[in-house]
Amino acid sequence: MPTITIDGEKYQVDGEQNLLNTCLSLGLDIPYFCWHPAMGSVGACRQCAMIEYKGKEDQSGRLIISCMTPIRDGAIYSIEAEAAETFRGSIIENLMINHPHDCPVCEEGGECHLQDMTEMSGHTLRRYRGTKRTHRNQYLGPFINHEMNRCITCYRCVRFYDDYAGGMDLQALGRNDQVYFGRQEEGRLENGFSGNLVEVCPTGVFTDKTFSAHFVRKWDLQTAPSICEHCAVGCNTAPGAREPGNGHEPILRRVINLYHRDINGYFLCDRGRFGYEYINSATRIEKVFSARHETVISSTAQSGDRLHREVAPQKALLHLAQQISAAQDNRRHMLGIGSPRTSLENNFALRQLVGPENFFSGLNQRDQELLQLVNNIQSDNRILCPTTPEIEAADAVFILAEDIYNTAPRISLAIRQAARNRQKQQAQSLKIPLWQDASVRQLEGNGSPIIFAGTELTDLENIASTTLFETPEKVAQFARSLALLLSNPENAQTGLEPQQQEIAVHAAEILRNAKNPLIISGTSSKHAEILHAAAQIATTLSEQKTVPVMLYLACDEVNSLGLSQFFSGESGYLEQLLQTLREREQSEVPTTLIVLENDLYRRLDRKSLAHLFEHIDEVVLLDTLFHSTSKRADWIFPAAATAESQGTVVNANGLAQRFYAIYEGKGFIQESWRWLVDAVEFCTEKSGALSQITSWKHSTDLSEAIAREFKTLEVLNVLGPDENYRIDGLKVARQSGRYSGRTAVHAQEHVSEEPPIQDPDAPMNFSMEGIHNPDKTQLQANIWSPGWNSNQSINKFQEQIGGERKGGPSGLAIKRSKHPMPEWITPAKETATEELPDIPNPVQMQPVYRLFGSGELSNQSKCIVEATEAPFVLINLAEAKIPGIHDGQPIELVTSCGTYRAEARSAPTIPPGNVGVPYGLPGLETLTPLLPGYASLRPAEASASIED
Amino acid sequence: MLINPLTKNVTDQNIATDLERYLGNGGYVGWRKAHTIDPDKIIDLVKDGGLRGRGGAGFNTGLKWSFVPRGADAPEQKFIVCNADEMEPGTFKDRLLMERDPHLLLEGMAIAAYAIGASIGYIFIRGEYHLAAERLEYAIEEAKAQGLLGTDICASGFSLEIFVHRSAGNYICGEETALLNALEGRRAIPRAKPPFPQVSGLWGKPTVVNNVETFCNIPHLVEFGVDWYRGLGRGEDAGSKLFGVSGHVKNPGTWELPMGTPIREIIEQHAGGMHDGLRLRGLLPGGGSTDFLGPEHLDLPMDYDVIGKAGSRMGTGTIIVLDNKTCPVGLVLNLSQFFARESCGWCTPCRDGLPWVVKILQRIEAGEGRSEDLDLLHEQCKRIGPGNTFCALAPGAAEPLQSALVRFEQDFFNHINQHRCPYR
Repeated sequence: MPTITIDGEKYQVDGEQNLLNTCLSLGLDIPYFCWHPAMGSVGACRQCAMIEYKGKEDQSGRLIISCMTPIRDGAIYSIEAEAAETFRGSIIENLMINHPHDCPVCEEGGECHLQDMTEMSGHTLRRYRGTKRTHRNQYLGPFINHEMNRCITCYRCVRFYDDYAGGMDLQALGRNDQVYFGRQEEGRLENGFSGNLVEVCPTGVFTDKTFSAHFVRKWDLQTAPSICEHCAVGCNTAPGAREPGNGHEPILRRVINLYHRDINGYFLCDRGRFGYEYINSATRIEKVFSARHETVISSTAQSGDRLHREVAPQKALLHLAQQISAAQDNRRHMLGIGSPRTSLENNFALRQLVGPENFFSGLNQRDQELLQLVNNIQSDNRILCPTTPEIEAADAVFILAEDIYNTAPRISLAIRQAARNRQKQQAQSLKIPLWQDASVRQLEGNGSPIIFAGTELTDLENIASTTLFETPEKVAQFARSLALLLSNPENAQTGLEPQQQEIAVHAAEILRNAKNPLIISGTSSKHAEILHAAAQIATTLSEQKTVPVMLYLACDEVNSLGLSQFFSGESGYLEQLLQTLREREQSEVPTTLIVLENDLYRRLDRKSLAHLFEHIDEVVLLDTLFHSTSKRADWIFPAAATAESQGTVVNANGLAQRFYAIYEGKGFIQESWRWLVDAVEFCTEKSGALSQITSWKHSTDLSEAIAREFKTLEVLNVLGPDENYRIDGLKVARQSGRYSGRTAVHAQEHVSEEPPIQDPDAPMNFSMEGIHNPDKTQLQANIWSPGWNSNQSINKFQEQIGGERKGGPSGLAIKRSKHPMPEWITPAKETATEELPDIPNPVQMQPVYRLFGSGELSNQSKCIVEATEAPFVLINLAEAKIPGIHDGQPIELVTSCGTYRAEARSAPTIPPGNVGVPYGLPGLETLTPLLPGYASLRPAEASASIED
Repeated sequence: MLINPLTKNVTDQNIATDLERYLGNGGYVGWRKAHTIDPDKIIDLVKDGGLRGRGGAGFNTGLKWSFVPRGADAPEQKFIVCNADEMEPGTFKDRLLMERDPHLLLEGMAIAAYAIGASIGYIFIRGEYHLAAERLEYAIEEAKAQGLLGTDICASGFSLEIFVHRSAGNYICGEETALLNALEGRRAIPRAKPPFPQVSGLWGKPTVVNNVETFCNIPHLVEFGVDWYRGLGRGEDAGSKLFGVSGHVKNPGTWELPMGTPIREIIEQHAGGMHDGLRLRGLLPGGGSTDFLGPEHLDLPMDYDVIGKAGSRMGTGTIIVLDNKTCPVGLVLNLSQFFARESCGWCTPCRDGLPWVVKILQRIEAGEGRSEDLDLLHEQCKRIGPGNTFCALAPGAAEPLQSALVRFEQDFFNHINQHRCPYR
């Protein structure tokens, strides 16, 4: 390791990094703008100047730009030399020529890297006497504000948006001091990672529009570590909340990235960043409701819909308690449906209340079997579930039937980085350091191979080297053949068509020759054969390479994999619930169904649900949002959302992670499990199981109970500190030391300060008292260090720049017993020859996914709604000429469960005979259980409306 | 012996030397000869000949070529690029060569391409040079028709295609790496070095970028050899060069003269001296981005190192003369406005510093300057000095200003004290 001297101190350092990065890793302060830990150096801003001396005798040295300087063994550098300080001050003076100094009205103020660096430079006196340049701002969509006058032209925005994330519609325009960062014309930024501009921009050019709508300063937000609930990747977030004043309770105001090296690093997707507004939306359940016993005659309501009125929580709890007591005496059946979009703790509470035999996963059979399969595959020793840095290191990627940009966006961003590895290899052969970002990027364009086979590929399509668009059945067959070719390149009998055979041979060669191949697949195509084939490819490769091979399997929801740990074999899916009901049809005993945070209409088709509701006497729903199922509920309890509660979820890689309450939910809102415990408290008789439930006082009591009950989830015991944990005798503060207006917030009621609400679940305060130092605990999500008010302060809390957070990563892998996955038996019947149903213009509906539109919760976020497309169906109009159907025209999909109206959209990659139906898109949500499945396609009649 | 190899085909008539006349005058002899020589030997020849880059930096051309990786491991595709983006204020030499003798440039590029193993060449030409671009395109067609360019040239197995690319107009494109970015369709901003273009240039492939005049030196250097070429110069530097003079002289223009011709000879003999009644106060020896020299430097020979020692740069060798009736503050303001406008906007000192300089100079010229403005100007010159900025544009812009601040200090004071421009 090279030794260098900085301002008289000797350091042993990593010679691979540039001087700026090295200094920051050492904890030294140097101001910088254009350099970014994830994007490397380009030497544009010149802010990070230092002095390098030729030797001990050299008194003056020469000015160097530290981000562009490789480490030289034995070199002598200075940060503090006067010449360096003066120059750094001069850069600030130059940058300030056109900066409007509008900090008091700027959303960035208080967490502004430009403010921090200006302070750090020591420059105070601006001598410029002229007028300032002004720009016109653009409308950039519902997510991002644009205020170009604040721009200091560091180029980070385009370097992230274009170079790192592959965006096409944000450019540096013009030249000299008129350089403008914007779009050619106004409009929504199209890339799904645009929100990162807010964090990448060192000042207030790009700010969070949703945050602006209810803005407070960073120091006035209370925060805690959270996990993004909008897909199964498990990105770490730091949501921020604060009271709106006038005595109202806190509201969630924004979500920002919380660095986790192995998952999200520095970046989030836009669904994750902007989806939070569902919590504040009009569809939020905030009170306790019961159904009115009146017949619905209103025309907008569907038959069977309930009308609800608010009731006192005690009344509802007393009622629920009576039902629980009745169930104890077998006077009532009590069934529970869990959910993959809520915590293990909530699911476990319901499971214990109704008994394991009466607890159902809330998934249909197919979805649950797919998750079991994912579990089995990931338990195989030959499979490696890759972290994000590992994905970024892959030198060949095979994506099998997963439109990863729309189903696990952060992983897609990582794949985009993997595509550059060939370029990076070339750079290394030319001795160009990898941090020399512009130099590396100018090397020849053809990237590492990315091979895709599936129905739709978004965003990565322009960097994919080979694509095959086919139905999932054909793709699975292709992938099995590929596995065959991998194990037996000479004599494999694949039975593929020549063109596909050629692709398969090519793909096999690439994967075989790759050092670090990566297979990507997932459950989104709803085909077990796809998962099997992906696993087969990975295991075959693993046997050849004699090391585990990376296989990332995307799942649908935040806790899909966690929930599936509660079920083994063939149990718990909703079809079995239907079966149970059928068996009990003759029973005189009434049935209460408790639905936990789940919209069943996304799980089962309408006919099955009609049957279900017919045989249930009473539906109790605990949830955050109103939806189709809530219309059928007799009792509704307001459940705490992720940001309002604590719990544990397991991501698609099998990593258990804990999220913590940012603030207490409004009014009666509380965790679903607490509603259940409260109901049991009301019971007069508490048998064994019930007494266990009443013993749960803290979220961690449930976590520990889960750890005892399920061997795979043992890690829940040690995942995070329990509520009694203290550091130096203190809890962790959720509010910053500068949190303002503690007394003013309630001043219209009284001037004395209210005692802060106590958190029963975590060793954290809903106040400014306690530990503030992120160095001391992972629970501190307010990443702040003296002089570093912006998100760049994360530098101070990493082992080294871009490394792990000090104190290790949060989250622990669940312990699945390692066993080889069961041998795949080729399906007996050829799926392709399945007979077409006898309907006019039959088409096979394949699910396609949308970043904005496929997420159940984020679909209720106002800004996401604005970015979501109207119902559409993708049709290969060139191949499948259906009379009367044209691009952009309304069509109707006639299914076994109703007719859906949407716009026909020409999509040349959709295989003929198939249509792409957006999964979960508002207006088509109830179609999701039917995907994939058959429908009849016809041009829409002029005045037709959706019918049942 | 030939003493004007660059302009021997240039006549008083504004026509391009066509292929027939070019060949008749001994054209493409160097190109034919080159085929018989090992590429490495040509590089050595050019190195030994002492040809220095005529774009302004004066780097040894053969040495530049020798950095191109060769051998089996080297990338097969290489590029030769001609920097014809002549935008330096006061410079008009390449235009003459391209308009009057386009084949000389093509021949020079062809030999260079052969020497480094490039099969594709680009002429990146200033957008306003319509005539030169047309004449070059015509000449390329002529040469291709005769088998002097194209595939398997003169049955040697060597192939070369040359394309003319018209610049969208940006001074920074004269910086070779910004030129490459522009050629690739990217923003014209300079690249970090290393890697140098010889290793990773156009589309990441080994690339040599040379100035028009540099290429035009090659054919005769190859034809007549090192000794002849070195003998052309009167001083240390080898060869001949196009020198020019602009300003209030009797006969502004451009002439091919031996390297090392004294400044006085260029101004007084060739440019006919100052207009009657005017006195020479200073001169920029090599275009708008060089330091002022004064009357005391008139007897210096125009050699790279001599002019460098005198505190300026030979640059493009085209002299701008300042007389005693022209305001030096106005001159520097004019130049600074050009450089500020042409800043690519990449690095802070240049992007934000130069417009500030312009505003200060405007104030001074308008009689609204303050004495502290001069300190600020001195400071700005230091800030945009070499090494502080990403490329050489801003340091170049500082050169006329920093030298004017010293040499014409009294003029600046007079502006400030009299609250007006004394020359008006």
